[in-house]
Order: sequence, then structure tokens, then C-alpha cells
Amino acid sequence: MLTRRIIPCLDVKDGRVVKGVQFQNLRDCGDPATLAALYEKEGGDEIAFLDVTASLEERKTMLHVVERAADQLFIPLTVGGGIRTKDDMRNALNAGADKVALNSMAVNDPEIISECAEDFGRQCVVVAIDAKRDGDSWYVHTYGGTRSTKLDAVEWAKTVVDKGAGEILLTSMDADGMKTGYDIPLTRKIADEVDVPVIASGGCGSVEHIHEVFEQTAASAALAASIFHFRKYTVGEVKEYLRDRGIHVR
Amino acid sequence: MSLNVTLADYGVGNLHSISKALENCGAKVTVVEDMSLLLDAQYIVLPGVGAFSRTMERLLPYSEEIRDMLLSGTPCLGICIGAHILYQGSDEGTAPGLGFIEGRVAKLHTHQVPEMGWNSIEGDDPIFEGIANRYFYFAHTYIGRPEENVMVGTTHYHETFASLVRKANTYGSQFHPEKSSDSGLRFISNFVRFAEGCQ
Repeated sequence: MLTRRIIPCLDVKDGRVVKGVQFQNLRDCGDPATLAALYEKEGGDEIAFLDVTASLEERKTMLHVVERAADQLFIPLTVGGGIRTKDDMRNALNAGADKVALNSMAVNDPEIISECAEDFGRQCVVVAIDAKRDGDSWYVHTYGGTRSTKLDAVEWAKTVVDKGAGEILLTSMDADGMKTGYDIPLTRKIADEVDVPVIASGGCGSVEHIHEVFEQTAASAALAASIFHFRKYTVGEVKEYLRDRGIHVR
Repeated sequence: MSLNVTLADYGVGNLHSISKALENCGAKVTVVEDMSLLLDAQYIVLPGVGAFSRTMERLLPYSEEIRDMLLSGTPCLGICIGAHILYQGSDEGTAPGLGFIEGRVAKLHTHQVPEMGWNSIEGDDPIFEGIANRYFYFAHTYIGRPEENVMVGTTHYHETFASLVRKANTYGSQFHPEKSSDSGLRFISNFVRFAEGCQ
């Protein structure tokens, strides 16, 4: 039976892991390669690196970080943030990423999703959706949450799957960094509407939140950052908690 | 003397993890872009990156010779797409496969694809020796459906499928051992020991 996945997420800036609240007020949390290796040892199912800077120079730093981390990692590594062209995606894969998350680039030119799926295989194309609630709907935001669009997040999720996305990384901007739990209605809605795996992201502050998102939605993975970086729990402790409550994990 | 493994580079995707994993197990890895060099290989690894037809395009001129090598006992490990090309053909593409294993590659019997994540394998082939945790990493939409008795590992995802096949000295794995942490590294190490034993 396929297990639910726990994905420690490392926001990377200037070659260091940082953690912010609602995409702001960044704190230093350590070396990306060291943390990634530690999380694999603890039982992390995958690792995600999100480049939270945008400049060209910093993106080169990011590729070195990916290379260094991939060199000692034997679980899948997803890299996202600042991927602007197909060449950026190729460079990330060549540096050692197994999957690449596209966000603003996919919104600007949805056909690029199909092209990337064709060239690199659907299983390595992740589309990251940053969604923010407005009334009864959620809308897609781009460029690290700084620009709003008129795209309905649920419709956009269906579109990206039609275009060839192999997985959706769904971040609730309302919940991000708040540690009050994942956005259950948003995650449930999108996980029910698409056939590809959905990674729930944003809002995790405790192991109960991970249990809640797996129990109440069809999300296939839960992404979390601060609970691991600040050593509130090890990945192993989270898995033990879930296993004891009947959630199938590795 | 270390084992000389020839790793096929079809020109897409990264081969870091599989190279590193093989090297960690004491093998010497030669990456070849020219597929004719596979014909000189002592041991072959067909990695799990890319799509069926594009991979076969490169291999097609040598497919009969490669098939004969595998039939005559050259040890080989095919991973994911590298296992798919061992079959006669695939619904994923129009090119014929190597035809080393009877049967074809077809879509999983579910809309919920790709299967992505860690799933368990049942089987008692010696290659599983010393692997306590039987969860391995899968990322696939298609699966090989053998029409001969080669299945040595099974996995369940909406259906029970052949996650590991073995014929002559060739193993074909649907999972990615190079992405399966300690269990996967032990699997690769067991393959290297097995290949050494075939000399």
C-alpha cells in the first residue's frame, strides 16, 4: 500500500536555510545539505528546497547548494523557486534535483508545463500553487506571493494537470507560517478534484496538524518546515504519532 | 578488483544518484552516451530517467545485440524506464522495446497516476537479503506486464503488479533503489554482489 509522505521543506536564501512568517521576517536555521541529510536519516520521505530569493547571482548559489545536498542524499529532492525558463529546470535537474516545482513561470505561460513534461517526464514536473482566500474562493498568487492573479486556484489545479503536471505543491498563503494548521477546505477541494498527488503546505505547527490533514483530506504528502528546523519534533516522532493513529507511513 | 559497471546515459535526466549509489557499493562506473559501448560492457545498468520512445531511439540500432548479451547472461539492472525497455513494447511510445522479456508495458489500471511515493514489495528473491524495511520509492504511470514467469517482487497500487522481475542475470525494478534510502542502497549493494558472483 502506498504510504502518506512527510516532506521537510527547506527555504533557502544565500545558501542558508531560513524560515519566515507569511513569506517575511526570515530567521537562519542552518546549512541546507546538513539538514537534508539529517532529515533523510530520521525517515523523511523526500526533501524540498525552495529558493526564496530571485536574483541571478543567488540562483547560482542555489545550484551549488543542490549539488552539495544531492551528493549525500538518497531520497527524492524537489527544487523550486526562481525557475523562470526550461533551461533553469534543466540546470536544477542536472545539479541533482529529481523534481522541479514551477510556479510563476507556469502561470505566465501554461504551455511550458507540457513542454517540460515532454522533455523531462511528467513525474519530475511539480506545479506549485500559492493560494489565498477571497470570499468563497481561493486565488493564485505569483512571485513569492507578491502578485495576485484572477486565476481560481481549483480551476488552475485542473488546468496544470491537463497540461502535464505530475504533482501539485499546494501552499495556503493564509496559513503559511501561522502554525495553526493546514488549510483543510482548500486542500480537500483540490485533492478531490485532481488525480495527481497533492502536497499540502503552509500552516503546520504541530504533529496534530499533519494527522488532521491526512485524516480529513486526500493529500498524499504533508510538507512542514519549522516543526523540524526548530527541533520541535524529529521526522521519526511525527511518523510514530501517525502510525499509532492508523495513518499509513513508511 | 572492483566491478566495472557501464551506465547508459540516454541524454535526459540526472544520473548522479545511481552513479553515487553504485560507487558507494564499490563499483567503478563508466557513463556512456554512445550506446554502441554497451556492447563492450561487463555489467550494464539502464537507469530510470526519460521516456520510452526517446530512450529506445538511442538503443534501437543495437537492440538485437543487447538482447543477446542479456540472454547469454550479462548481469544487468534496469530501473523504471530502464526496466520498461526490456519488454517487447510500450503503450507509452511507438518504438519497439528490446524484446528481452515477453510482454508489454501498459498504463496502471487507475486514474490516480502517477503512483508517487513509498510502497512495499513482497517477494523472497535473494536480492532482498538483509533488507528489513521493504518500502521503496516509486514514481510511474506505466508498468511492465510480463507474459512469462519472471516476477520476483510484487506491489499493490489499485492492482497487484510486478515491481521486480528477473530473467537470466538481469533484474528489472519498477521502483528507484537509488532514491530509496537505506533499503535501496542495500538493494544496489546486493545487486553488485550478485553481479560479481556471475563472473
